Amino acid sequence: MTKTVLVACGAGIATSTVVCNRVENLIKDNKVDATVIQCKIAEVASRQESADLIVSTTILPTTYKIPALIATSYITGIGMEALDKKILDHLK
Amino acid sequence: MDSLLSGVQYVLNLGPTVILPIAILFIGLLFGTGFKNSFKSGIIIGIGFVGINLVIGVLVDNLGPAAQQMVERFGLSLTVVDAGWPSAAAASWASPVAAVLIPICLVVNIILLVLKGTKTLDIDIWNYWHFIAAGATGYVVTGSWWFAILCAVLYEIVVLKVADWTAPLIQKYFGLEGISLPTGSTAAFGPIGILIGWLITKIPGLNKLHADPESIQKRFGIFGEPMMMGLILGLVIGLLAGYDVGGVTKMGISMAAVMLLMPRMVKILMEGLIPISEAARNFLHKRYGDRDIYIGLDAALSVGHPSVMATALILVPITLFIAVILPGNRVLPFGDLATIPFYIAFVVAFLRGNIIHSVLAGTVMVTLSLWMATDFAAVHTLMMEGAQFTAPGGATEISSLDLGGNLFNWAILKFSQMWNAIF
Repeated sequence: MTKTVLVACGAGIATSTVVCNRVENLIKDNKVDATVIQCKIAEVASRQESADLIVSTTILPTTYKIPALIATSYITGIGMEALDKKILDHLK
Repeated sequence: MDSLLSGVQYVLNLGPTVILPIAILFIGLLFGTGFKNSFKSGIIIGIGFVGINLVIGVLVDNLGPAAQQMVERFGLSLTVVDAGWPSAAAASWASPVAAVLIPICLVVNIILLVLKGTKTLDIDIWNYWHFIAAGATGYVVTGSWWFAILCAVLYEIVVLKVADWTAPLIQKYFGLEGISLPTGSTAAFGPIGILIGWLITKIPGLNKLHADPESIQKRFGIFGEPMMMGLILGLVIGLLAGYDVGGVTKMGISMAAVMLLMPRMVKILMEGLIPISEAARNFLHKRYGDRDIYIGLDAALSVGHPSVMATALILVPITLFIAVILPGNRVLPFGDLATIPFYIAFVVAFLRGNIIHSVLAGTVMVTLSLWMATDFAAVHTLMMEGAQFTAPGGATEISSLDLGGNLFNWAILKFSQMWNAIF
């Protein structure tokens, strides 16, 4: 079954675009069956029902029903491989 | 020689959709991303511009006439459309000074770091657009390249200083270890907001009030969804403009479309910039990353905090209400209603997440911001015309809270106008 990843940031543009690209490449390179949706963190609450994983560049404003990862590593460029692995573990 | 000059002039007249891809190609080569990647980046950025242009067209064509109707029917003088930061950023990147300012701002950061003038290494190249915006403001007003560079560098220094100063605060409150947030708008709204916030905590009675972020997020959640917000605002504005049912519906869908499509178009612009931004980041990391410094990142990292979110959601209807009743305001808030979390991030951290205090401080901040954005409208519109986003001499004026209603940029505007008056 295709899994859905929500990539969220404060405005749904700047940092999430960087992370979106990274996650999309990650999925392609590892042949994982998943789609990526980019959104604002405020939209995550209403979209979580139809998703499997949240990858957020910003602090989580509330607790969600699905697993959530913080993706600061992709923005700073430090510890990117470790985060790659965590995301893949959730999607496999 | 004459034919060479006319050739250069010909290219310049083609506008940013042609010039920017060429400029990005060269900047990409400068940062060593290779010809293929740089070429692709340039083309993608050109496409992003075409896209943003289309969406601004939908916004201005629909909202402009409706705003005029509201003026005639109710005397609401909200004739300046808030096109939001995406259009301000695009206009800044499209400014003739943008290409030279990116390397200059990088070098200024490095010099300050080496001289210990700042502790922040700003690797968030995307948000260099705020520095470029200051430069573009100076350029539009004075027409001088040197003055534009001066404005951008001044803006950058102040933003880095604010980032240094607020770093302990945001590291402690948001838990962002070793990070500072040199984002132009967040830094510009920060100091004044913190001052107001501090005054509010001194008012007896007020300092005991609290509110719970979770329940506010649930109740005001609709203001966090740009598409629904666009729809509702469009419908209300259509009604106020006296349109018939069809017209009102069309207005609602159009404004929902703008709210959804604008970020998508900016995303394309961003995608083009990513290889260059990553190359610059890696370069800076390798050379200067081992010092005891703060890594400067996008303030977007902090805005998801529950109290920031809750405060921003409440501030959306407050901003609209103030815009209607505020004497001297002509800005119709729209695009930047979604950017409010960025303006209050530092203030909420300073007030330790007290939402009631943050909302009060935010209310004063948006009031000032609306006045500044009104004052900025003429120059902001010129910047958009320079980027060929709107037809010269068009009926609708454009501003934004992010660029026009930003204290530091407004100070740059006043500085430029003063300079122009003297020299």
